[in-house]
Amino acid sequence: MTSGTRDLSTPRVEMRGIRKRFGALEVLRGVDLTVGRGEVVGLVGDNGAGKSTLMKMLAGAVVPDSGEIRVDGTALTGSGPRAARAAGIEMVYQDLALCNDVDVAGNLFLGREIYRPLSRRLDHKRMHEEAAKDLATLHIRISDTRQLVATMSGGQRQAIAIARAVTFEPKVLVLDEPTAALAAREVEMTLQLIRDVSTRGVSVVLITHRLQDLFEVADRFVVLYEGVNHRQMTPSETDLGGLVTAMMGK
Amino acid sequence: MSTETVTPPTGRADRRGARQDFVHRNFGVLSISAVLAVLFVFFSVQTDAFLTTNNLVNVARQVAPTVVVAVAMTFVITTGNIDLSVGSILGLSAAALAIVAESGSAVVALVLALVLGLGIGLVNGALTAFGKLQSFIVTLAALTAVRGLALLITDGYSTPITSDFLLPIGNGRLAGLYTPTWIAVVVVAAGWYVFNHTRFGRYVVAVGSNAESLRRAGVDVRRIQLAVLTLTGLVAGLAGVITAARLASGSSNSGTLFELEVITAVVLGGTALMGGKGSIIGSAIGAVTLGVISNGLVLLRVDVYWVPITQGLILIVAILLNARLFSGISGQRT
Repeated sequence: MTSGTRDLSTPRVEMRGIRKRFGALEVLRGVDLTVGRGEVVGLVGDNGAGKSTLMKMLAGAVVPDSGEIRVDGTALTGSGPRAARAAGIEMVYQDLALCNDVDVAGNLFLGREIYRPLSRRLDHKRMHEEAAKDLATLHIRISDTRQLVATMSGGQRQAIAIARAVTFEPKVLVLDEPTAALAAREVEMTLQLIRDVSTRGVSVVLITHRLQDLFEVADRFVVLYEGVNHRQMTPSETDLGGLVTAMMGK
Repeated sequence: MSTETVTPPTGRADRRGARQDFVHRNFGVLSISAVLAVLFVFFSVQTDAFLTTNNLVNVARQVAPTVVVAVAMTFVITTGNIDLSVGSILGLSAAALAIVAESGSAVVALVLALVLGLGIGLVNGALTAFGKLQSFIVTLAALTAVRGLALLITDGYSTPITSDFLLPIGNGRLAGLYTPTWIAVVVVAAGWYVFNHTRFGRYVVAVGSNAESLRRAGVDVRRIQLAVLTLTGLVAGLAGVITAARLASGSSNSGTLFELEVITAVVLGGTALMGGKGSIIGSAIGAVTLGVISNGLVLLRVDVYWVPITQGLILIVAILLNARLFSGISGQRT
């Protein structure tokens, strides 16, 4: 791969003409989606509009029938979850991400623990230090990385799940309903986290039913309706009512 | 609860949280230690023979096979699996050790007994991890089949062991304690280290806690399941060697209901049957507690049939305490 061929105008994510049929139902009928560097895109649409399927394709979990997915200009269509992750796509699934019986640092380092090569002994001290540093960078206030995740609130757990995805240094972070089931203050915390992540240059695709959240963090809305691109707008062009109207296909 | 995000790091609520976390994590060990202490004092007061060096050294030898297998079983149960075949593997290993030692080399007999355990564990693990079968069913089948195999090769008779190489494994002494006790000490120490201080131990907990999360983190969950079940097989083989060497005889009947004693010990020690939480030290103390109960009751000249009854009752009480107090203290959110 030659460097320098990618100019900044290449979008981070480019999905073109995506189609998917599940049996008789055509869920996606030629959808396009582009996401720029550090951009926060709110992907909205009514239930069944195809938002989650589209994001599962980006994460490599679902293969499109036709269409093209490019990340930084490199084709990624249908190459599987591992390739998607290697290309820098991280998806946070609510409640699937964490081990309740493992502490905060353990969850952040799950699968890539730091250990001393000779004795195979886990370097607990360093993992706790680095976990605390990572959390501080993201302004996540968790005072003790030795706490078990099971004892924490929904918002804290969501924050840890996002922090974990961020420590993989992704190019694109996909969040599916990150604020569902959170208390008001925790929602604010999660939104702030999304802002922080995007200022670090990470692109974010946010799926949520809480449309008011989108007005706080999204740079652009992409509205899907019955499997096609319906509208595209910025928060300054519309209001909550306008967004709801667009979601209903009008 | 005291886990609010705004709590400053040095807050009092935070220290209370840390203390709760300590109790939360060690509740099983603390409660079984208390039970053991009470039993210890009770038997010491009630009998003359209990609190004597001779008796305690003997108890420490008797409980060794249970302790050793309970350590391995803790790994299995923490992943959310179970191994019901350890008693049958113990019997087969003991029988094979005696038979092969009688007709040939003692070293070959020892290696064979251990390899048999390892091999059966490997089959259990492969069927569970790669065959996608429940470990309960797989090891239940092995419990029956392996016991049958042990009966088949012995014809139901026990075989004496006379080898000067093998007998010390059961009866040798070092610094006052018997070899089985030292083996148990080494296994507990190694198990504790691996469980708490290596990636493998971390993944064992993660498999039982949220296997999907571990899988997404890029870890092959099947290899962890294969490893833990192979380990119990090997260690059950070792327990068979220890038992046969101590009794100077290998019998296909040894280790009957041994699996239940081991599982009882592990659960007494605070390991969750649903997985995700385990304690090696707890399991060891649990096994010692069961040994102390049977020893103490015998010394009290209570009818020997009271031993399993008492062990069963103590198990129920311990689990009730765990379930009730535990949920109250930890305040776990799900």
